[in-house]
Amino acid sequence: MVERQSPLEPEFHVGSHGNFEHGVEILLTETRPGSIVQLAAWPGEEKKLMAAIRTVTGLALPDGAGGGLSDGVKSVFGFAPGKFTVADDAEGLAAAFAKVVTPDIGTVTDLSHGRTAIRIAGPKAEWVLAKFFAIDFALPAFPIGAGRSTAHHDVFAQIQRTGSDQFDIHVFRSFARSFWNALCHASEEVGYEVQ
Amino acid sequence: MSPRRTDTGGRIDRLKTIRFTFDGVAYTGHAGDTLASALLAKGVTLFGRSFKYHRPRGLLTAGVEEPNALVTVLKGEVREPNIPATMVEIHDGLVAISQNRFPSLAWDIHAANQLGGKILSAGFYYKTFMGPVIGPLKGTRFWMFCEHFIRRAAGLGSAGSAKDPARYERMNAFCDVLVVGSGPAGLMAAKAAADQGARVILADLEPRFGGSANWSDETIDGTPATDWVRRTVAQLEGRDNVRLLPRTTVWGYYDNNTLAALERVSDHKEQPAKGEPRHRYWAIRARSVVLATGAFERPLVFPGNDRPGVMLAHAAERYANEFGVLPGDRIALFTNNDSAYRAAVALKKAGAAVVAIADVRPELSAEMRSLATEAEAEIFAGHAVVATEGGKTLSGIKVQRFDMVTGALTGDARSIHADCLLMSGGWSPTIHLASQAGAKAEWDAARQAFLPPKPTQQWPTQQWIGAGAFTGSFSTVEAIAEGRAAGLAAAGGTGTPAALPIVEAVPGEPDPAPVFEIRAKGKSFVDFQHDVTAEDVRLAHREGFVSVEHLKRYTTLGMATDQGKSSNVPGLAIMAEALGKPIPEVGTTRFRPPFAPVSIGSLAAERFGDLKPERLTPMHDWHVDHGATLYSAGLWYRPMIYGHAGETVEQAYVREARATRESAGIVDVSTLGKIAVQGPDAAAFLDRVYTNMFSTLAVGKARYGLMLREDGFAFDDGTTWRLGEQDFLMTTTTANAGKVMQHLEYFLDVIWPELKVHVTSVTDEWAGAAIGGPKARQILAACVTGTSVDNAALPFMGIVHGEIAGVPVMICRLSFSGEMAFEVYCGAGHGTHVWEALIEAGKPFGLVTYGLEALGTMRIEKGHVTGAEIDGRTTARDLHLDWMLSKKKPFIGSAMMDREGLVASDRLELVGLIALDNRPLNGGSHIVEEIDEANPHGSIGHITACCYSPALGKHIALALVKGGKARHGTRAHVSDPLRSRFGPVEIVSNHFYDPEGTRMHG
Repeated sequence: MVERQSPLEPEFHVGSHGNFEHGVEILLTETRPGSIVQLAAWPGEEKKLMAAIRTVTGLALPDGAGGGLSDGVKSVFGFAPGKFTVADDAEGLAAAFAKVVTPDIGTVTDLSHGRTAIRIAGPKAEWVLAKFFAIDFALPAFPIGAGRSTAHHDVFAQIQRTGSDQFDIHVFRSFARSFWNALCHASEEVGYEVQ
Repeated sequence: MSPRRTDTGGRIDRLKTIRFTFDGVAYTGHAGDTLASALLAKGVTLFGRSFKYHRPRGLLTAGVEEPNALVTVLKGEVREPNIPATMVEIHDGLVAISQNRFPSLAWDIHAANQLGGKILSAGFYYKTFMGPVIGPLKGTRFWMFCEHFIRRAAGLGSAGSAKDPARYERMNAFCDVLVVGSGPAGLMAAKAAADQGARVILADLEPRFGGSANWSDETIDGTPATDWVRRTVAQLEGRDNVRLLPRTTVWGYYDNNTLAALERVSDHKEQPAKGEPRHRYWAIRARSVVLATGAFERPLVFPGNDRPGVMLAHAAERYANEFGVLPGDRIALFTNNDSAYRAAVALKKAGAAVVAIADVRPELSAEMRSLATEAEAEIFAGHAVVATEGGKTLSGIKVQRFDMVTGALTGDARSIHADCLLMSGGWSPTIHLASQAGAKAEWDAARQAFLPPKPTQQWPTQQWIGAGAFTGSFSTVEAIAEGRAAGLAAAGGTGTPAALPIVEAVPGEPDPAPVFEIRAKGKSFVDFQHDVTAEDVRLAHREGFVSVEHLKRYTTLGMATDQGKSSNVPGLAIMAEALGKPIPEVGTTRFRPPFAPVSIGSLAAERFGDLKPERLTPMHDWHVDHGATLYSAGLWYRPMIYGHAGETVEQAYVREARATRESAGIVDVSTLGKIAVQGPDAAAFLDRVYTNMFSTLAVGKARYGLMLREDGFAFDDGTTWRLGEQDFLMTTTTANAGKVMQHLEYFLDVIWPELKVHVTSVTDEWAGAAIGGPKARQILAACVTGTSVDNAALPFMGIVHGEIAGVPVMICRLSFSGEMAFEVYCGAGHGTHVWEALIEAGKPFGLVTYGLEALGTMRIEKGHVTGAEIDGRTTARDLHLDWMLSKKKPFIGSAMMDREGLVASDRLELVGLIALDNRPLNGGSHIVEEIDEANPHGSIGHITACCYSPALGKHIALALVKGGKARHGTRAHVSDPLRSRFGPVEIVSNHFYDPEGTRMHG
């Protein structure tokens, strides 16, 4: 299969950058999942959709707004009432869901090319993200696995916490390079490494 | 002897010397100095010139409320005016200059304004610059003429025009408890809340935490208060649940406990660290807030109270104890309350001679007499200062017996030699943030001050809790107790009995005598920054201004950068006396954000310049690498032309369009809005959204659709592809993609929630390339596998799925150019791969890449409409799209589209124009029946789009013209007086080229 081109390519400079006075406190990378799928249930069908998600991914979603989880390969979180984002390192997630999410449950929308997943990790991850998003990133308020719908530069974005100091940010592909540049810029003061 | 550095004492680092300049003169100071303290230590007393009269002014305060000593700080080409010298931390290389003076601070030519005397009183501008009723300077012209001179003669510092290269950032923060102010009350509140496990943010506008403890010379728990501060701050620093924000001014209190703060991150450094911003704007969302913002000392109003050398008593105490600077050698005090006596003792201890204490109160307590004795000061009880002497520095004062009940002065004035006069007119709690949050201030007759209302406990109407001097509790003992209680309450904790720190302080009663002004001969200033005198306030009263709001605007009292921090209450008291009313009946103004000036850069933060978001298509880098000239279309960047060396834009697009019509061309159409419309009711929904029918569309086919707004005007157009029974791919115009998405979501969420339809933006999922021209099908046939692309497999508006170079593609046969054309869609990550494969396949066929200019040219030749014609004022009929208005079903806009005004015969309709003088036409030009260059009039329409048509070999345009089709074949003129373009045109059909569509249908 032909490899997908990253929208970050010309601005993706592997290595260390910024102010290293206190060492590198941010790690930035693009996770490049094989599949990103949006699932949406009709009102009242949410539980069935969550069951379908478990069938396909093995991930049992918790109840509640923004709930989610990740096993390191697959991840899922709710980003709106009855709506979920699912990502998988492997391709083919949309086709797999198309078999189990019947029209009476909801819809499956393949966004594997349309969204870019950027990972920010490190002890200063919350600090840098606070420059962009009016979200409480403290662990009790934003637990591991949970997701949030938000916006960068007034453009819709989603964030999932995949570790105590690790976040995966899903942004529109066409804006990804701008966001990446802004993220690198904001990370300069604490020192960052692109991996 | 003038002001000087003391030999010992202060919180400065005497081992570290800092070098800076002020007005071009080199000075040194120490780490921990402000510009004010460092200059004062070098004997500088003249810091600025007043706003209107250009009177010499010195330091009045030591903090953020400073009205006089405003300076401009220069950093390279960048100048930042109006910064209080009291808030500038010195650093090596600091360059500061004084302002509002010419040619120098010491010799200012505009000081002649003082000779204007009463002429320059309040309302001067309003009264003086009324223009004559006739003549060249009538009305406001006279004011505009004078304004130039007035602005040179009066004002503050001037802003620069150089681009500011500094970095500014915005931060979002969340906490359980925000504590504003880090004096003893704030520190105790932060500690108490943190001990409860709450997430705490402690912000203070000063670089050092501790507030008054830094200069009060009190002891807490048996050690100097500064040691207690150091210990407490160290404890807070060691906690994970506390964020300390020094140099951070909380300047705005908004709804739902959202507060705005400005952190001065690197102003105090010669150079910021790599990536470090200059300022950081904090948006803080706090569950509860503790306001421990302290109080401002008030000046007394008497003649000559603005002379350099006259300052507030606590300011002098602060200079002595915090900065190790004596503001004078022979110091006199003038007070209406006990707090000034502590300053007398402090200055005596620091090495000054305290020559006199004039107190308006006839009877003084034994404790105050004892303190005066300790300061070795002569007491003048029942006296007032009635004049100050000297030029640009104070040389002496005059005191006279004063009756504080009647305000009468009796007896002879006595002269006292002094080089510094300290005054204290009582204290005003800093209630600004509470006022911003909606609290109505309450007058306290004992404190002679406006206090915040007592906590109502009516959550959530009051989400802040006050502590310390903010509440009118001016002693450190009270501050500590209230701070702890406030911290506990804010964190939701319960008040378990606990031993509080023990404070040793000089005695003193908090209540001042109700004296604000000494009425004697001479200018007595109320608002130092705006040169408002007590007489100005009375003048406003005499002229009928009875409301405090009107008083403020007429006299400008309380305006400018300090927002009347030291002048509001004295001004109000003088107004109340003039009105014969008690102060609370006169009322006070509501404080508004910001508490202190805020840099515009911090508000803009990163949202400008290179960091503005750009939207790029999947093939963007290819376009750049292959010579495309890009221009912005909304946030998108799109190729305009792929110019060859030496080509003009017109030559390039003509070449591209001609080659496309002769062989084939390819254009990036990834920017088209794409919306997935999915669900069992998707087809029914589209029938309601579009004017034409979509439920009858077969799977694997596409249809051109038109949307109207609810008011019946045309809204957007595009093709929608049926990919499955319940799965549609809607395309919209690039510019309207967001609006259409909102439109669809609105109708699904609000009007038809019962429809089972989901809409999702998939614009970024697909890369799109439109390939058109007589050889387009051959090119596709050469590179597409897995499907045929012949007419049977891929008829007009048909869709097929196949592969190009190993990548799945979806191809729809549709045309915007008027040629046989196809839109090839693939996953965005494969966009460049497929694009390059198409380019390669097209080489034998003469395929060219073309940009928006050629695209626009071909669409004008075909007479297709875009946003230039669907401009929000046109209807489907105006654009000759009435054939798309279904009569079989209702749709959005159908109820309103037949209104009388929308079907009138004189509406502007779409037509084509051909320039008969073979010259280029201009977009926006008017169309007239008869040309009249001297008096352009009689417009019958305007040009919406124009180009040189390579297919016709003529300059053509689309236009909206009254009468429309009825004018086909007639002549008119373009009239464009702004660009001096006049000339004859022929009105024709908008379908210039291949009107039958034979090329497109093949």
